[in-house]
Amino acid sequence: MKMKIQSSLYLVFLGALAFSVLGQIPEPGPAKSVNVPPVIETKLKNGLTVAVVEKHSSPVVTVQLVIRAGAGIEETKKAGLANFTADMLTKGTTSRTAEQIAEGMEFLGASIDTGAGWNSSSVSMTVTSDKLDQAMAIMSDVVLNPSFTQKELDLMKSQSLDELKSNLTQPSFLGSYVASAYSFDEHPAGGTPQSLEAMNRKDLLDFYKDAYDPARAVLIFTGDILPAKARTIANTFFGAWKPKPAERKEIIASMDKAPTTAAENVPVTSPLFKRIFVLDVPQSGQASVTYAKSINEGRVRFGSTPRPAVSINKSYYPALALNSVLGGGYSSRLNLEIRIKRGLSYGAGSNFSWRSDSSNFTTRTQTKNISAAEVAELVLAEIKKLTETPISNSELVPRKSVITGNFGRNLETSAGLAAAIADLYTFEIGTAELNKYVANVGVVTDDQIREFAKANLKGGDVIIVGDYSVFKDDLAKRFPNVKIDVVKVDELNIESPTLRRSDVP
Amino acid sequence: MQKLFSIALVLFCLAASSFGQVKVAPLPIKQRTLANGLRVVSVQDNSSPTVSIHLWYNVGGKNDPPGRSGFAHLFEHLMFKSTKNMPSEKMDRLTEDVGGFNNASTWPDFTNYFEVVPSNHLETLLWAESERMVNLNVDEANFLSERKVVQEEYRTRVLDPPYGRLYWYLDDITFQKHPYRRGVIGDLDQLEAATRADAEKFYKEYYRPDNAVMIVVGDFEQSQFDSWVDKYFGSIKKPADAIARVTEVEPEWATERRFEKFGPIVPFPATAIVYRAPKTTSPDIPALKLAASILAGGESSRLYMALVRNQQIAQEATLDLTLSTEGGRMAFIGIGAEKGTSQNLEASLLAELKKIQDIGVTAKELEKAKNQLISDTIRERETNDGKAVAIEAAVAYLNDPLAVNKDVAALEAVTAADIQRVMKQYFKDNNRVVIYYSQEKKAEGVK
Repeated sequence: MKMKIQSSLYLVFLGALAFSVLGQIPEPGPAKSVNVPPVIETKLKNGLTVAVVEKHSSPVVTVQLVIRAGAGIEETKKAGLANFTADMLTKGTTSRTAEQIAEGMEFLGASIDTGAGWNSSSVSMTVTSDKLDQAMAIMSDVVLNPSFTQKELDLMKSQSLDELKSNLTQPSFLGSYVASAYSFDEHPAGGTPQSLEAMNRKDLLDFYKDAYDPARAVLIFTGDILPAKARTIANTFFGAWKPKPAERKEIIASMDKAPTTAAENVPVTSPLFKRIFVLDVPQSGQASVTYAKSINEGRVRFGSTPRPAVSINKSYYPALALNSVLGGGYSSRLNLEIRIKRGLSYGAGSNFSWRSDSSNFTTRTQTKNISAAEVAELVLAEIKKLTETPISNSELVPRKSVITGNFGRNLETSAGLAAAIADLYTFEIGTAELNKYVANVGVVTDDQIREFAKANLKGGDVIIVGDYSVFKDDLAKRFPNVKIDVVKVDELNIESPTLRRSDVP
Repeated sequence: MQKLFSIALVLFCLAASSFGQVKVAPLPIKQRTLANGLRVVSVQDNSSPTVSIHLWYNVGGKNDPPGRSGFAHLFEHLMFKSTKNMPSEKMDRLTEDVGGFNNASTWPDFTNYFEVVPSNHLETLLWAESERMVNLNVDEANFLSERKVVQEEYRTRVLDPPYGRLYWYLDDITFQKHPYRRGVIGDLDQLEAATRADAEKFYKEYYRPDNAVMIVVGDFEQSQFDSWVDKYFGSIKKPADAIARVTEVEPEWATERRFEKFGPIVPFPATAIVYRAPKTTSPDIPALKLAASILAGGESSRLYMALVRNQQIAQEATLDLTLSTEGGRMAFIGIGAEKGTSQNLEASLLAELKKIQDIGVTAKELEKAKNQLISDTIRERETNDGKAVAIEAAVAYLNDPLAVNKDVAALEAVTAADIQRVMKQYFKDNNRVVIYYSQEKKAEGVK
């Protein structure tokens, strides 16, 4: 037990109501286990993969279309294009207006969710099983026949710019926005003020033409549906989706990142962290403290060229376990040190955001401005500890249970099940992985975690977003020999190499 | 410990087939009351090897002691600290560490503590919940540290988001007398004033079997469950003294009140128009929920169509129903877009209100709203925890767990005339509070 129990002098027993029977904690009964039902997969003539998992305990069906093309293939100047294209699908087709699409889906008690992340674009809906056919008619129309009208594009641009303007006042949002360019050499997948302003209809049409290819897509059905029925529905509603001509396929393939060979595990002698960046937001309600490190290990490994076979990166499960120890869930080390022991935050955590051949590691927390530097020190101390000190089994085993427990619970709903399958298809990992997940987490060792931490976690950036005037002195005191790069929020330009508006070439 | 792998394989417990109209299956609820007053509600459902346990206590933000705004919520945090037989954070060891989770939340009317665990851990959690019902310790260091956490929570929820203060004001300046005016999160100074002695008193007052309902849904065998309940809760004594209840009655809001409030970082102006809601036991609640869905449920809703799409003065336009047992509030809220001003947001929100009052709703709109709410109900009940949450709401707001099985029929019975009537009855020019919220150089009010 890590938690230090305070001196018993301070303990006050409040149990005025006598309760004598039961001082002993009962032992759990024997564990039960259940397997994930199989994913039944077929392919339509146009190359579209159809994946089905039956689960009839509730009369709902989730249908999710995943396309293996996301923000990762858009140019920095066009940041947000993949997401914009996905969101514009529901804003009109050759036969339905945006209003008719919203009205039609909502009348069925459903809604279509669209969006794009770094690795994929997605269109999904959850609907009661009696209304599936009607909902599919609308879903296929928005995917196959979007009109991308100028009027709707203008409206979405102004809405997105307003939303971004609001987000750019929030330390939590700003922390990851800055990290995307400063630490990960990427662009914000949601776009920047400049890129959203410049977005035009041709960009969307081109992205759609190149990326929305049935051969790059999977249509996932989960829930109250029979596989035969899913196949029939897929054929009826997506059979007419035309595969891309060969030259278009080449365009998109060339936009994919070239596969890299496995990263070398060179012993890292780098210092604990590389830089400290402060985004000064005067009068901000709290400060966000982020540690960001780009990692040269991706979700998968590629075999030899030309079209390499894909297998899951062996480091993936150790990284999951590492994250659970450090910053996944309530009792992880960051939350223990920052919230539970010191009351410095409402919560602290960490995350790996995976790409095929790399990943972005971040730790995140918010604290009152005056505590920002103290929290940064605590975060760095935990990073250091992971690279140096063994993790006991009494800590590691429960942290693995957190991962497998979350995994199992996420599969309880049709939408959660579809999302887990979508994630595997995004990286072209076989769905058999679903049934190996728990075992693969189970065999991760303390050594593997420490090796991963040593090779990858050190040398990142500390990014603090908050009211600099409040924590300036404390930061200088705690990090005396470090040059601190400070940018005022009004001066922020994510597209500039220095992140400063005035330095735009 | 890789045991929790909870996917329902069972194909025979169909709630409905893929053909024909789906129905919301009634939950097979069992109820009993122990001699000490603890009410126990259970639903055996063995389709997935998990169980959800909810301890619902009839104490919420409205029961904050005088001068201790935010206290019920602070106390909720303390319930995860040590007890006579458990060290601090033991609840996390018993849940998180075995692949489950736990949490708690404080509402104006109640506080709930809940966990989902692999079903073989049910007995352990029943023991733990009985333990913290009667054997809590509050030590000074834990108290002070948790008070700081709650103050950070306040900053994260109220001070950090651009419209956090606006939502805080929705309670603070609308209710005149009823303790609902304190909201739940409280304020920094009154949290700072809270002491360990307050916590001890609060625990004795409200945390007792006759002020609680336990709801358990999931994989267990009924007779075994009942015997565990007897074993771990049966011997808890019922205190003799009566439980303090809120006695303040909110006076009728008889004239329009208007406020202008400011925050240090507010990207666009916003407007809220707040009305008094009827008690949750009112037969008008289903009609109000459907009206809210017609006005603000999705991108085909009236407010979205008018303010966001057509006039383009708002990023968000909603009718927020905060329904409470003693009569909560209903707030039209418009968060401005580039072209939004507090004035044009107010005018457009009120124009939509007047339209529904004068002309009513169409049969198709009503059917759409019913489909949306019924579909939400079905989706909520996909998991054991979702079912427990639904039962808990029936306990909290209607004082009857079986009411969960009448929700859908109540929605289905609402007519277009009902909607027009409730919109006229509860939304009047003289019973509203109008708040304009915008950027000012100097923040005022909330710290």
